Order: sequence, then structure tokens, then C-alpha cells
Amino acid sequence: MDKQVDLLQGTLDMLILKAVSLGPLHGYGVLLRIQQISKDRLEIQQGSLYPALYRLEHQGWIASEWGESENNRRAKYYRLTSAGKRRLQTETEKWNRMAEVIAGILGTKREEV
Amino acid sequence: MRREEMESEMNAELRFHMEARAEDLVQGGMARGEATRRARLEFGGLENAKEQCREARGVSLLESFTQDLRYGARTLRKSPGFTLIAVLTLALGIGANTAIFSLVDGILLRPLPYAKPEQLVGIKGTFPRGAFAAMREQLRSMDVATYSEDHQFNLTGYGEPVRLAGTMTSAELLSLLGARPELGRVFYPGEDTAGQDNYVILSHVLWQKRFGGAADIIGRPIELEGVSRQVVGVMPADFRFPSAKTQLWVPLHIDPRSAAAYWGGDFMPVIGRLRAGANVAKADAEVRLFQSRVSKMFPWPMPATWNADISVLPLHNGMVAEVRGRFLMLLGAVALVLLIACANVANLTLSRAATREKEIAIRSALGAGRRRITTQLLTESVLLAAFGGLLGLLFAEAGLWLLKATLPPDTPRLMDVQLDWRVLVFTGALSILTGFFFGLAPALQSSRVAPTESLKSGGRGVSASVSQRLRSTLVVGEVAFAVMLVLSAGLLIRSFWALSHKNPGFRAEHLMTARITPNESYCSDVARCVAFYGSVLRQAQGASGFTDVALVNTLPLDGRFAKRNMTMEGHLVAAGGNMPLLWLNVVTPDYFRVMSIAILAGRDFTSADERGDAVAVVTAATARRFWPNQDAVGKHVRLQGDKNWHTIVGVIRDVQAYDLQTTTPSWMEGTIYVPYNAGATLEDGTIPAEMTIVMRTTADEEQAGSILQRIVSGLNQEVPVSEVKTMQHVVSEAASTPASTTVMFGAFAGLALVLGTIGIYGVLAFLVSKRTREIGIRIALGARQRDVLWLVMKEGTGYSFAGIGLGLAGAIAVTRLLSSELYGISATDAVTYVTVICAMVVVSLLACYVPTRRAMRVDPLIALRQE
Repeated sequence: MDKQVDLLQGTLDMLILKAVSLGPLHGYGVLLRIQQISKDRLEIQQGSLYPALYRLEHQGWIASEWGESENNRRAKYYRLTSAGKRRLQTETEKWNRMAEVIAGILGTKREEV
Repeated sequence: MRREEMESEMNAELRFHMEARAEDLVQGGMARGEATRRARLEFGGLENAKEQCREARGVSLLESFTQDLRYGARTLRKSPGFTLIAVLTLALGIGANTAIFSLVDGILLRPLPYAKPEQLVGIKGTFPRGAFAAMREQLRSMDVATYSEDHQFNLTGYGEPVRLAGTMTSAELLSLLGARPELGRVFYPGEDTAGQDNYVILSHVLWQKRFGGAADIIGRPIELEGVSRQVVGVMPADFRFPSAKTQLWVPLHIDPRSAAAYWGGDFMPVIGRLRAGANVAKADAEVRLFQSRVSKMFPWPMPATWNADISVLPLHNGMVAEVRGRFLMLLGAVALVLLIACANVANLTLSRAATREKEIAIRSALGAGRRRITTQLLTESVLLAAFGGLLGLLFAEAGLWLLKATLPPDTPRLMDVQLDWRVLVFTGALSILTGFFFGLAPALQSSRVAPTESLKSGGRGVSASVSQRLRSTLVVGEVAFAVMLVLSAGLLIRSFWALSHKNPGFRAEHLMTARITPNESYCSDVARCVAFYGSVLRQAQGASGFTDVALVNTLPLDGRFAKRNMTMEGHLVAAGGNMPLLWLNVVTPDYFRVMSIAILAGRDFTSADERGDAVAVVTAATARRFWPNQDAVGKHVRLQGDKNWHTIVGVIRDVQAYDLQTTTPSWMEGTIYVPYNAGATLEDGTIPAEMTIVMRTTADEEQAGSILQRIVSGLNQEVPVSEVKTMQHVVSEAASTPASTTVMFGAFAGLALVLGTIGIYGVLAFLVSKRTREIGIRIALGARQRDVLWLVMKEGTGYSFAGIGLGLAGAIAVTRLLSSELYGISATDAVTYVTVICAMVVVSLLACYVPTRRAMRVDPLIALRQE
């Protein structure tokens, strides 16, 4: 397993939006999904997951509903709203542009200056 | 409900997370107990997360506020001593401010209770009837009205004759103000013309009291001053123009045929209502122009000083100009009291915060953010202030009652002042602001606590040094404010003392006075009038309990005066110039003796003077003014319009007759006395009809009044006796303005002093209790009592001296504003300063005494075992 990296400030929201965009999830499910997609290379503070979920819900990007978990227990499921979908899209674009720029800067060689 | 629902949902969600995680761990082969523990560990601070969730949810503002309120109420209930002292202190501060604010609001801020008050203006200056009539005719920018207050009318034919206070008005006054009568109508234009003016409008109170509120009063004739007038209206109870004294309004009686009364007589204020399109500046210009014209309309030359500073200003400004400065000063003083109260409570809160450090540390360890803790502590402060405000309202109610009793009754609009919703809003806002003001610094201070440090130190306090600095600043500040207030009060008290101990020129002790008021028409028969008063004197002299009786037309200090132009021997008046204007006193022979007014030269009046040659007496200042370095006795004066001269037979010492500091109004040039007889004519050629009787007696007001009324009624059924009061009462009424200012400042200063003392005491007591251990160690190591004494006193006196110094500097800057209220001393009066400084030093030493003694008695054994 690769060494885990700390989450960049502000990226948790984006990851959560991405995770629930693939289908409704409960909080613990979000955690597992992110770890699964990232192949366990990201460390997520479990305690900070829920405030983020509440924040996103308050902003209207995700919505919640109580439902049955896989082992028949009551759990709160989050899904992406249409506002959330748009938000995820713009965030993704922004991130990609940013990553490109940063990568470009970091990849600069001496002779290119 | 909703809050609890959300809480339980959040708990369920988080529980689900933990259990699901633990389940996964068990699946991975971990023992169940270990898995549960591990899941919780991985999750991190649960309470912290919950708090963040609550914040993230966004609705927490109101919610956390109610939570804070509840928590605050609980903590306050747990420390009743602190709460009681804090609430009381705040209530005093807020209550005093509320009371003074209600005065300022009711008198200075609130618009006048008349229709479209913004159009109403007052003209600075006074005008006789003729000048007013010209003004009414000529001015284009405004409609004008005039009035003459303080007229007295005998009402006869309805039970005992009574003396009523009335205002004579031009016909348009009431309609110009937009006042609606409760019954009947106001005057119609033209009803102030002589011959068409036999009407009267009653005040609500008079209508109720004297006429039983009879609805058919309208149209009924009543007998006023021997003249029958028809009642045309009744004004509502809340109509009080020009002042609450007015019991009835009668038309002005404008008669161009009588030049003396038309161009002389009353000089009256004029008010106006701006016409459409006019403004104050325009009206001002027009009135100035008018003034230059009107002077030339008089049948005699008018001095250039007459209405020299004429101007137009909003009516409200003019009415309250005299009291504005004084009230704003009071407001400033009472604000200082509140600041001191705030400093005190802030200090208390800080001391308490020190003992609450552990509690706050635990809360912060459990996940409360700094902002959350600050908010909570602030909520607690505001809650305290709110309780203070509520109790303060009660204090304010009582305070306002006291204020109304203390302030001179002729304070404009005083009757309008009350605690209404405007004042309630003010108090509410002030309370909240106060809460923030005294709570913010301590709250920020306390929330800075680092939990680990604090918990380790066992709640002994680590932020002590910072908050100690804040605390000392507060104490120094409050002592400084207290010094400023006490100094101001000291100056006022000293000035008032000087004023009331100034010799007024007469002796007020054991003198009873009363006003005897036959109708004007009764005295048109001079012989009848003189005979009437002769009988009154004789019978009063013989009545049991009365000794030394005399009569005078204008009693010193009672607000009345009589002016008279006269020719003074050796003073030729240039053509176009004005004859000197003097205060004419008409007296009976024993007057000077009864009043104990010293005769400096010549002789007193005798009973022979009532018939023989015309004689007069002048005051020393008058003699000096007109005949400097000469003997005034033997000189002659002639009243304007008289043929014969009065010979001056005596000179008396000066009498402070106009107010306690001055003998005459500034526009009069002297004071003269003539005996009461046919030659003692007033400006209008009649002899005085109303006289004040002065007598030495042991009877009280009631007894004297009834004896007098019996004597007078025996002579004439229709003559009322009124204003029965002791001369001392008359004097104290004349001093009521400085008295009320002094009393109020004194009260505020007293409050400030008490609060300041408590402040010093509180800080020192806290200091000693915090340092008991240190003091114990010092004593154990051989410190002597003297050293401990010095240790504590150094701190305490340090604060007080710094405060006194600062306060002195502040006082020097501020007391200049008091100058206008000070009589006979300067605002930097050394005696007052030294006395107040000494008093403050003594008081602050006393405040240090108890804590110091406690420190000196520290038993090292007990002190060291304390921890």
C-alpha cells in the first residue's frame, strides 16, 4: 500500500460530491467509497466527514433521506441534487485547470524558461 | 421540538457509523470489544464533531442563543450574590439614565404636541400690543400670535372668590397652534379687539374643579375680575400652552385708542406659523426688517436696545433654550454613572471568570470553539444587563417622580414627561448595549484560556496577569469618573451654599406673606382702595398671632415687578432719549421694619407720609448711580406723567429682589419705594390694586390664611386671599433651579462614589484572596505585618491615586461647562478641589482597609494548606 496522503484543504467537499454522484450512500458508505476509489491512498478524518455532509446538505448540493442499510438497519442516505451536480462539474473543471497549471509549473525545465 | 429531532437524528447517524465500522472490523477478525473501542478511536472527538455538525447545519444561531440563555440563567442562579450585586449596580446605572433620558426626550427631543410643529416658530424679543398688531398685519412669511402669561383673575359668584391664573392671548393663538377645544370653540379672529372681547376659554381642570364639568357651561357668563365674560370653550387636559399654570384664556384686549396700553403695558412674546413656501431664514429676514420699521411707529422714542437681538427660531428651540444646557449636562453626568457601573460589573465578571476558568477549559476541551464560548459569556452579560434594565425601569419610575418634584415647576414641558414606549425602547437598547459593553472584554479574556494549562493548574488561573491589567485599568477609570462627578457636585454644592447664604438684604425668618387681590375696578376709586387696605392693616395688626404687618405691591423674589419711567433730579434727558426706568415699590410705613431692611441714611416712612408731601426712598445702588458722592436724601424724583415731585427721605440697603443675585432686571436702572397713597401710581395711572401682605407671625400657612381671609371677607366679600406662604418659602422657590441641579448632581456623585469605592474594594479583595498563598509564604519567611500592609496598600492606593489624578485632569477639562451654573465661585475653585481630593483619598483608603486587614491576618499554616 502506498503511503497515505493528507487531504488538501477544501477537497473533501469535492470528494463527497463525487462519491454520492455514483449513487446514494450513507455517511459510512461515503467514507468507504472514497477509500475504495482512492485505493486507500487518502486518509479521511472520520470526525470531519459529518460536518462536511451537513454543510453540503445545508448548501443544497446533497439531500438526505432515511432508508435501509445493506444489513437491514436504518441509515441516512445522501444523494446528489441537480444543484450539486452542477457544482461538482464546475469544481471538477476548476480542479483540472488548477492541476494542469500546477503540473505545468512543476514540470518546467531549465531550458524552457 | 425540531431541535431535539435533529439532535436525535444526528446521534442515530453517528451511532450507525460507529457500529458499521466496528462490524467491519469484527468481520476482519477483531474481537468485538476491541473493535468498538477502535471504531471510536478512529472517529476522533465525537462531541467536537457534533458541535461542528450543529454549526454546519446553519440554523444554530437562534438555537444556540436559547441554549446560551438557559445556560446563562442557570449559572447566574448558582451564584446569587454576584447576580444580585451586578443586577443592582446595573439597575442603578440604567435606571438613572432612563429617568434623565425621559426628561431629555420629553422636553428636548420630542416635537411639540401641536399640529405640524415643524412650522411653528418663536420670535426672540417682546412686543407691546401695537407692535404686535402691526406685525400681524404686515408679515408675509408667517401668521403670528401673541400671549401674555401670569395674569390673575378673581372668579366671583361661584362659591368663595378664587384667584385664577390666566393667559391673555391674541385671537388667533389657539387656532394657530392647531389646538382643538374639548368643548365649544376657540376664539374667532377679531375677538381680541377692545369691546368685543368679553369671552373666556377654560382649562379642563378648572372646568372640572370649579364648574363640576357641566356640559352646559358653553355660553354661560362668568364673573372674572368684576367683568362678565361668556364661556366659549374648554381646552382638553393635555393642552398646556404657554404652561401648565394657565387655568383660563381670555382675549388680549387690543385698544389702539389707549396709547399707554397699546404701545406700553405688556411686552409680550410672539410666536408664528410659517406660511407655505416660507422658511425660518426668510421669516428671520422679514422680522429683522420689520423691527427697524416698528421702532419708529411708537409715539415716543424707543431705545436702540429694544429687541436688538431679534431673530426667528423654531418654537421648540426657543422654549427649551434655557434648560437645554443643564439637561445635557445632567445626561453627561448620568452617563458617567453608568460607565462606572459598567466598570464595576466588568470587574466582578472578570473576578468570577477567574474562578470559572476550569469550567470554561472543560467546555473548550469538549469541543466548544472560542467564538461559541465568547458568545455564551456575552449572552450571560446581556442577560444580567436585561435584568438590570427591568429593575432599572422601576428605579426610573421612582427617579422620575423625584425629578419632577425637584425640578422647578416652571420647567417647560415638564408635565409632558413620562415613561412611555420611546423610553422603554431606549432602556432596552441601553441594557443590551450595557451588557455588551461590560461583558465583551471579560468574555474575550476568558475564552482565550488554553484548556490544558488551565486544567493542569487546578483552576488557579493562568491568565491572571492579563486580566489583572484589565481590572486595574477599569478601576482607575471608574475612580477617575467618580472624581469628575464628585468634583462637579462639590462645585455646585459650594456655589449653592454661597448663594443661599448670601444676604438678600432682608430677613426671611418668621415672615408670612399672602396676596390680597381686589378687582382692578375696585381700585379705580382710589380713596376706597386706600381705605380698604388701611382697614386690612389695622385689623391684621390686631389679630391674635400677627405682629408687625405691612403691605407691598411687589414682594422680593416672588417674580413680580413694577416698572416706571421717572425723571431723576440732576439728570436731564436729552431730546429723543429715554427716561430712566426704575422698579417702583409701593409700601406701607412699617415695610422696612417688618422685612428688617436696614436704613442707611435719612429716615423710614412714617404714617404722616401717607398724607403729607410726596416722599420716596431709594436703595443704596440707586443713590450711587444717580447721585454719586452726593447725599441722595433731599433729592427729588418725578414719576412719568406726574406733576409733583417726590422728595427722597431715606436710603436703604440693596435688596436682592429680582433673583438671589440681582436687585433688578438688567434693563432697569434702580429701585424706588413710595408710600401707598393716591400718589403711588403705576404706568397706567392707577394705584396698585393687588398687594402682598407681609407679617411677623407664629401661625402656619393654613391658620394665617384663614385668619386673613376672614378679615378681608369681612371688608369685602369678593376679595380673595391667595399665595399664602412663608417668606422662606418664597426664597427657596427663587433658588429652586440651582437647588435642583445641585441635588441631582449630588445624587449622581454619591452614586458614583459608592460604586467607585465598591470597585476599589472588590479588586483588592480579589487580589488578596488570590494571593493568600503568596502572602502566607511571605509571612512564613519572616515578612512583618508592615510589609504585608505595604504590599496590599501599594496596589490599592496606586489605583486610587492614578484614578484621582486622571479624574482631576478630566474635571479641569469638563467643569468649565458648569460655569454657567456656578454663582460666586469659579469652575476651578481651589477649596472645592482640595476638599474633594482629600475626601477621595480618605474614601479610597477606607476601601483598602478591609482587604488589607484580611491580608495581614493571613495565617501561613492555613494559607499553605489551602491548595
